[in-house]
Amino acid sequence: MRVSLPGGITFKLTLWVLGLTSLIFVALIWYNYSYARWIVLRDAEQSARNLTLSMSRAIEQDFRSVTKIVQSLALALEANPCHDDKDLLRLIRGTVSRNREVFGSTVAYVPYAFHKNLRLFAPYYFKSSDGVKLVELSQSYDYTKKDWFHIPEVLGKPVWTQPYYDEGGGNILMVTYSVPFFDRAEGGSDRKLLGIVTADISLNWLEKVVSKAHIGQTGHCFVISDTGVFVTSPRKELVMRESVFSLAEERHLPRLRRIGRRMMTQKQGFLDMGASLTGRDSYLAFARIPSTGWVFATVYPKDELFFEAERLLQRTFLIAVAGILALFVAAFVIARSMARPLRRMAEATERVGTGDLDIDLSDIRRNDEVGQLAQGFMRMTEGLRERNFIRDTFGRYLTREVVERLLESEDGLKLGGESRNISMLMSDLRGFTALTSHMPADQIIEVLNRYLGEMLDILIDHRGTVDEIIGDGILAFFGAPEPLEDHPARAVACALNMQKAMEVINERNEGEGLPCLEMGIAVNTGRVVVGNIGSERRAKYGAVGSEVNFTGRIESFTIGGQVLISQSTYERVADMVDVRESFRVRMKGIAEEVVLYDVRGIGGSFNVSLKDHDDTLAPLPSALDVKVFRLDEKIVKGNWLQASITAVSPLTARMALADEVARWENLRIELMDDRIPPAKSQIYGKVVSVSRRGNRFDVIVRITSAQPEVRTLFREAVSQPEKEPH
Amino acid sequence: MKITIAFLALLLFLPPLCISAEEPSPHRVSFLPNWIPQAQFAGYMVALDKGFYRTAGLDLKLLRGGPGRDVMKELVDGRTTFGCTWLSVGIKARSSGVRVVNLAQIIQQSALILVAKKSSGIRSVEHLDGKKVGIWPGEFRIQPKALFRKHGLNVKIVPNYTSMNLFLKGGVQATAAMWYNEYHLLLNSGLDPDELTLFFFKDLGFDFPEDGLYTMESTFLSSPHLCRAFVSASLKGWMYAFKHKEEALDIVMTRADTAGIPTNRAHQRWMLDRMEDLILPGGDRARLGKLREQDYQLVGDVLKDLGLIARLPTYDEFYRGKR
Repeated sequence: MRVSLPGGITFKLTLWVLGLTSLIFVALIWYNYSYARWIVLRDAEQSARNLTLSMSRAIEQDFRSVTKIVQSLALALEANPCHDDKDLLRLIRGTVSRNREVFGSTVAYVPYAFHKNLRLFAPYYFKSSDGVKLVELSQSYDYTKKDWFHIPEVLGKPVWTQPYYDEGGGNILMVTYSVPFFDRAEGGSDRKLLGIVTADISLNWLEKVVSKAHIGQTGHCFVISDTGVFVTSPRKELVMRESVFSLAEERHLPRLRRIGRRMMTQKQGFLDMGASLTGRDSYLAFARIPSTGWVFATVYPKDELFFEAERLLQRTFLIAVAGILALFVAAFVIARSMARPLRRMAEATERVGTGDLDIDLSDIRRNDEVGQLAQGFMRMTEGLRERNFIRDTFGRYLTREVVERLLESEDGLKLGGESRNISMLMSDLRGFTALTSHMPADQIIEVLNRYLGEMLDILIDHRGTVDEIIGDGILAFFGAPEPLEDHPARAVACALNMQKAMEVINERNEGEGLPCLEMGIAVNTGRVVVGNIGSERRAKYGAVGSEVNFTGRIESFTIGGQVLISQSTYERVADMVDVRESFRVRMKGIAEEVVLYDVRGIGGSFNVSLKDHDDTLAPLPSALDVKVFRLDEKIVKGNWLQASITAVSPLTARMALADEVARWENLRIELMDDRIPPAKSQIYGKVVSVSRRGNRFDVIVRITSAQPEVRTLFREAVSQPEKEPH
Repeated sequence: MKITIAFLALLLFLPPLCISAEEPSPHRVSFLPNWIPQAQFAGYMVALDKGFYRTAGLDLKLLRGGPGRDVMKELVDGRTTFGCTWLSVGIKARSSGVRVVNLAQIIQQSALILVAKKSSGIRSVEHLDGKKVGIWPGEFRIQPKALFRKHGLNVKIVPNYTSMNLFLKGGVQATAAMWYNEYHLLLNSGLDPDELTLFFFKDLGFDFPEDGLYTMESTFLSSPHLCRAFVSASLKGWMYAFKHKEEALDIVMTRADTAGIPTNRAHQRWMLDRMEDLILPGGDRARLGKLREQDYQLVGDVLKDLGLIARLPTYDEFYRGKR
């Protein structure tokens, strides 16, 4: 098993899926958490504000009720100045005993105000364990120097004192409300201060109230005075000793000082106090108690406040981790299941690139896109195999150039053509049909294929383009589609090599008892149109034009073993070729005589030449009577003519004929000899010369095809020493 | 109740220590500071707790000072051997025939200030004209009165007693405060320094040295070594306190707690730091414990100008400490 490599699809897909999912999860969790926190905070702030406000109001209520008590006492004293100490004592005592909130109360007179002989007078009633008790304050200290007396005295208005510890030793934290009362009897705005009425409130109840208020599990409340001093706090060591500001100084927390200042100046607030006061990151809510200016505050530790949100965070985080793990496994498995066949296909593609089309991906059985890809890949390699097959098969019918041109050029298949100067080669077997008329079909094909195979090899070796094979005839050209500068020389050399190859073929044929084949080749050079000829459904790369037809005409003038080239070709190869003979012929449809060159060799880099056969005519011991049929386009015309063969060579025969035949005329000659059955007695030939000898015509015929029996007969005849010059 | 137990424990604890010292039996002396236990007296507390007095052959009892405890009266009445009070108080007493002598001048500068809220518009001394100013009765009023007279200001002086509340509640527009104590209490009531205008008497030509150590002339004459031992142990205590402030603050806080004084460490630290500024102005250790004649003269002149004394005692008869 291959491990997925960095950069591999498995790795990438897994990484991306995981990365993006994690990112999404983180974003979601963050959003979820912050939103939850926001809601918690919003609710907490609301409830904290409500709580502090309601608590501060509750405390205010008690303070307010005391202010009323004291103020009404002061009003009573102003309305009815007591000069009788009994009335005064009863009044004060009643105030203390009747009011739950009042711990102690006094009416403290300014010096000599109560009685002209009495400097200080301040009877003080207070609640003790033994009931309401009376003491005379002036006996303990000079009360005029006390804040509760001095400040309202100076200010001329009611005052709440700072909280203080009861000096009676009860260690009771108290606060005093002092109201000055005046002698208004003298009338007018000029009022004379008589004294100060006070009530003391024990702050024990405040401590109880505050300690009872549960702020969650770990939150707490505290009260600070209008100078920031802790009045109640769960941390007893702070009470009456430290102020918010002294703590800030001691702990070097400027932030706490700023918080303290806000608490002093704002009526209500909710703020993030950090870890400044309690050492735990907390929120602080506070509300002013109006009458004393004190502040009721609650501390909400964030960890408790956000406990649910934190738990939500933890749980969503765990779910996310589990989800991401599951996703990781899923992504990995899916990615790998895709990557493995893809990797195999990649390897297969590489193999295809190197030409190996033997690909089997049939084991990738999937019905998804990967499966489709694998199937498609298989079809593609099959297609490529087919294409190769087609290319190979085509090559047998078309030259490689044409095939390549067709397969590889984008417009290779475009129908249409171009005018090009090329050299055409046309070959044909002489009398093949006649020769093979008595042979079984498979033997015919064997002979034909042996011949064609050899010829086509040579053609292809010379970079000829085979236009057409019609039976034993071949039309090929040079210089298209592949441009070749030396196409005339190539064509000529090719033709010569083809002729040379015929000797080898014939040796083999003779050895196997098959007929000898004679081939004539014509080469012509001229401007023709080349291109894909045909329809969309069936087309070939071929050449058309009069020059093609002209080449066919030249070919018809050839005899076995001959290569005839046209004037136009000759002009291009004149300095290279070895011409045995040139002659003028007249062709159908062409006004002027045409010069043809019988080429026997070519020099230059091709360097091919044909052997000259022993073509000496040997006189026959006895003339052979023959019937001569004149052929026009392979069709017998007219009646047969009486003739006799007088001399033969392996390729020619001399006939004496009563009638005149034309030079280059094709003839069919039937031997009338007992030794050869009539079916095999036919000879095909071309008239190469005609001369008149008296009333008879001496005709030399080039034998283009003859049955082996005939050739044997001739060979035997010429093996005799009598010879006759040609 | 707690105090009582602590006191009993102290009583039970002390005698064996005294006996175990086994030196020439230490002289029983007492010392009355001019205010409640706080860092203003850190040096003496440290000297006592670190055993400097005992080493000096003194079995010192640190009395509790505070309101209602008049140091001069206690000295005269023989209820304390040594006392700590302001130079102006000492001069007035001597001038009025009380035969006290100054053994050492501890606080070299005046820590008395006037504080006003900037919001009341008071930015300079002249702005105090026509305003109510809270000032403690007694010697605290000498410098302010001299100042107001010098600047020709008509200021209504309202008595201040134990707190700054009159000022905080707006009963007065300015108040006297000790730089080392009440000023800091105002800061720790939530007022910021930049909200306040301060007038330092030491910068206004009335730089009166404050706390000094006093005893009756008779005590000094009969036991000068004892007095010098007390002074040097006290100074040693101060130097130790400045060098080991946290330890000194531990001692101060314990003393304040025992005395039932509600205070906090931040405040006592401020006070101790200011003490260092005042006892060693500019870090000058040469002045430690000494009364300079020009300072004596300045205070005497102001007292005479105000008619508080008829005649200034000579420097030499008044001051018996190091020169």
